[in-house]
Amino acid sequence: MTRMLVSRLLQLPFIVLAVYTVTFLLAWMVPGNPLENPEGRRPPPEIVAAMQKQYHLDDPVAFYFEYLSKASGVAWVMGKSDHPFDLGPSLRQPDWTVNEIIETGAPVSMRLGITAMMIALGIGIFAGVVGGTRPGSLPDVCTQLISIAGISLPSFVIGSALLVLFSVKLRVFPIGGVSGIESLFLPALTLSLPFAAYISRLVRFGMIEQMRSDHARTARAKGLSERQVALRHALKNAFLPVLSYLGPATAVAMTGSFVVEKVFGVPGIGQHFVEAVLAKDITLVMGVVLVYSTLLVLFNLAVDVMYRWVDPRIA
Amino acid sequence: MKVLAPFLLLLLALIATTYIDRPLPPAELVIIERSDCFTLDPQRMSYQHEIRRGETIYEGLVALNPQDCSIKAGVAERWTTSADGLTWTFHLRHNAKWSNGDSVTTRDFLYAWRRALLPDTAADYSGFFFEIEGAEAFFQWRAARLGAFKPGDDADALWRETEQRFLDDVRVHASDDFTLEVRLRRPLPYFLDLCAFAPFSPVHSVSVASFTHLDANTGRMEQSHGWTKPGFLITNGAYVPTVWRYKRDMRLERNANYWDVARVHAASIEVRVIENPNTQVLAFGAGGVDWLPDVGPEYKTEMLAQRRLYEARHAAAIGVAHDRGAELDETIRVLPPPVAGERRDIRALNAYGTDFFSFNCRPQTTNGAPNPFSDARVRRAFALAVDKQALVDRVTRLGERVATTLVPPGSIGGYPLVQGLPFDTARARAELTAAGWTDRNNDGEVEDAQGKRFPTVDLLYSTASPRYQNLALALRDMWRRELGVPVEVRGKDSKLYKEDVKKGNFSIARGGWYGDYGDPSTFLELQRSTDGNNDRGYKNLAFDAMLDEAQREADPAQRLLKLAECERFLFAEEVPLLPICSYVTVYMYDPSRLQGIREHPRLEQHFDEFQRIGAPSGATSKEHAQ
Repeated sequence: MTRMLVSRLLQLPFIVLAVYTVTFLLAWMVPGNPLENPEGRRPPPEIVAAMQKQYHLDDPVAFYFEYLSKASGVAWVMGKSDHPFDLGPSLRQPDWTVNEIIETGAPVSMRLGITAMMIALGIGIFAGVVGGTRPGSLPDVCTQLISIAGISLPSFVIGSALLVLFSVKLRVFPIGGVSGIESLFLPALTLSLPFAAYISRLVRFGMIEQMRSDHARTARAKGLSERQVALRHALKNAFLPVLSYLGPATAVAMTGSFVVEKVFGVPGIGQHFVEAVLAKDITLVMGVVLVYSTLLVLFNLAVDVMYRWVDPRIA
Repeated sequence: MKVLAPFLLLLLALIATTYIDRPLPPAELVIIERSDCFTLDPQRMSYQHEIRRGETIYEGLVALNPQDCSIKAGVAERWTTSADGLTWTFHLRHNAKWSNGDSVTTRDFLYAWRRALLPDTAADYSGFFFEIEGAEAFFQWRAARLGAFKPGDDADALWRETEQRFLDDVRVHASDDFTLEVRLRRPLPYFLDLCAFAPFSPVHSVSVASFTHLDANTGRMEQSHGWTKPGFLITNGAYVPTVWRYKRDMRLERNANYWDVARVHAASIEVRVIENPNTQVLAFGAGGVDWLPDVGPEYKTEMLAQRRLYEARHAAAIGVAHDRGAELDETIRVLPPPVAGERRDIRALNAYGTDFFSFNCRPQTTNGAPNPFSDARVRRAFALAVDKQALVDRVTRLGERVATTLVPPGSIGGYPLVQGLPFDTARARAELTAAGWTDRNNDGEVEDAQGKRFPTVDLLYSTASPRYQNLALALRDMWRRELGVPVEVRGKDSKLYKEDVKKGNFSIARGGWYGDYGDPSTFLELQRSTDGNNDRGYKNLAFDAMLDEAQREADPAQRLLKLAECERFLFAEEVPLLPICSYVTVYMYDPSRLQGIREHPRLEQHFDEFQRIGAPSGATSKEHAQ
């Protein structure tokens, strides 16, 4: 276990470096100039030229290495930077640093993603167990239909419907912004549905298989009720595929909530990221990618550790 | 049970992120904006919502009274002007304080104004400061020196010379900490209006200076924008920002050190950023939001129709109160709440801007052909043929006031109402005939004396909003029908549209203008031959001379009359552009819950005048459910 942890942590910088390099190449190829604003607020040409030089926008190689050394903390260790992980100023929002933007937006997106995954797990496991223990029954057909709907309906449709129903008509939940947990419930629910649907299908298939397995038959022979067999024995094994799905899914939920953030007016990092890509705000794009790829690697690591703990056969 | 492990892990992560991102206590007032401020640096502000925020947190020498846009005292408690109108002396009040308790002194104004005049700052409104004698030369000198600067040159020496030049050449002078003397390059009756504008606000010179450094490579005075962030930002206005989260929210707290704090109603204001226009309206509908200053969705026309139904049902009461001189909100506040299908929480207010279409007045089109619109008779014909009331009623549908001139009526005190051209199709055809264009072969289209058809009119609009397209199509039909001219519309996305307009690649193009300050010249200077925003290529030396003469007039009342004559000449005779209507800005707020919204067209809404009536923030009212 310790060896696995150490080796995975040692791999981390290389994985992040690879992601950084690929993102850099892609971001640099986006046409356009981040210092140019289509809305007319255009700095004078000599200032643009000075900024181009200052940020190395005229020299991709210099940009690549300077950004990397500042962001990774190398520049700080060498005493060339005041901030250990300096992700630079946003090119489009000169009054904000990328660090500030991420510090404001990331906790919101993470809360949203995590809440969504908890809801997805709850709904998904419940629906999967209900369907998987009695395949072909009415509850099974219903949960399957709903899960197909959850996977196939786009979140801006579900989101808008939930918004109008619960916030405008019933006034149960607030809209826009983030305050308490209640303000995140609807967006999290919207975001969770595709995941919940997928989890329910994983659990359902696992349950069907496990309920027919030898150890379930043995458990029944011991005199356990169907319910006990399902919850104590079958679910434990049926849950394993969910666990491996959970790592990447949580990462997707935390990063890919752009549409949900837009519909509900949640000030997360997703919308900044998409805008940054469109506007070629390279420092912001690189900063978000670096932070998220690090998080992703750590998440997958956490899931692997958990997996070994739940299923000691994997070592 | 091990299945619960992931739940627990997620729960832990949730608690951690929630702790990092703790919710703020509810604010007394909640305002929703569509975009965040780019900066809280007053000298670099540019957009309307930014300027409004600037006037909330800073106070200039004087301020505008939002009810009628008259001037009231700000940091300066009194001021005098010399007989020639060139020298202004401001006496600063001794009790004006920064939010950290320091006195606001002339040093802070000199420092802020110098920043605005340094090309290093890249301030959008530097040009406004050029009215100070010596300022423009100072700016140009510094820009030239910075342009010639090479690495290795002495940046410190250049900076010392810059400081000295500012003291010597720019005629703004502090005789002590509380007396500021400004000398202008020409009489400027609206100078006080400029002084109330956010970019003229002071900054706390000591704290801002600590965030600046000289760049040895470029010679520029660079600043870190960290000083504009809560925790570092020191302001002298009614409010201090205590939290500012990028594109998320800003929390404004009443500034206890503000000299006039007794007048400030709400103790705290949350300005929340919601970019999606639909979500904005839904968030307002869900309650807890006091003011939505810019309603976006197209269905606002239906909501405004519901408002008109409500007003129509109470027309008698509203009429009586109006005759008594009451503001509409005061009247509506005490009326019974709306019934189903009506609403009173949306309102279209006349704004300080005009929607228009530009005629290309250049003698030739971009491909070298003669341009019929260089003839004022043709322009008049096109203007006379447009039924603007029909456009407003059927196309834009926001209840705008039809415009025949550029300066919005009633927006500037003492400026008379100027009449441009009416809707008169017979006269339109007569003007076109006088210009040599008439239907000679009865084919329904006009030809010139040689029998050549009127060149196809290239009607350019930007596809940024369906409004422009709808207007362009309606205009095309009117001109085809009334004048018998061929018109083709051409929609371009905003960037290409702007390029074409700048190049003069159009016959008629969509345009619009919002005034920057409270004087007709903010609209009229647009038509000066040399103006950077004269997209029409309108060049008339006689008009330039008229404008110069009006601007030179020392008597303010006479000056406004002369400017009015300039405007009449423009829109009754020359018509370089076709005004359609005054812009409106659509607000959502419930007059029975929020007090302090002003209806003056300049829409100077001051947060310190906003007051919640009745229920505290967060409470919802059931009335705007539909």
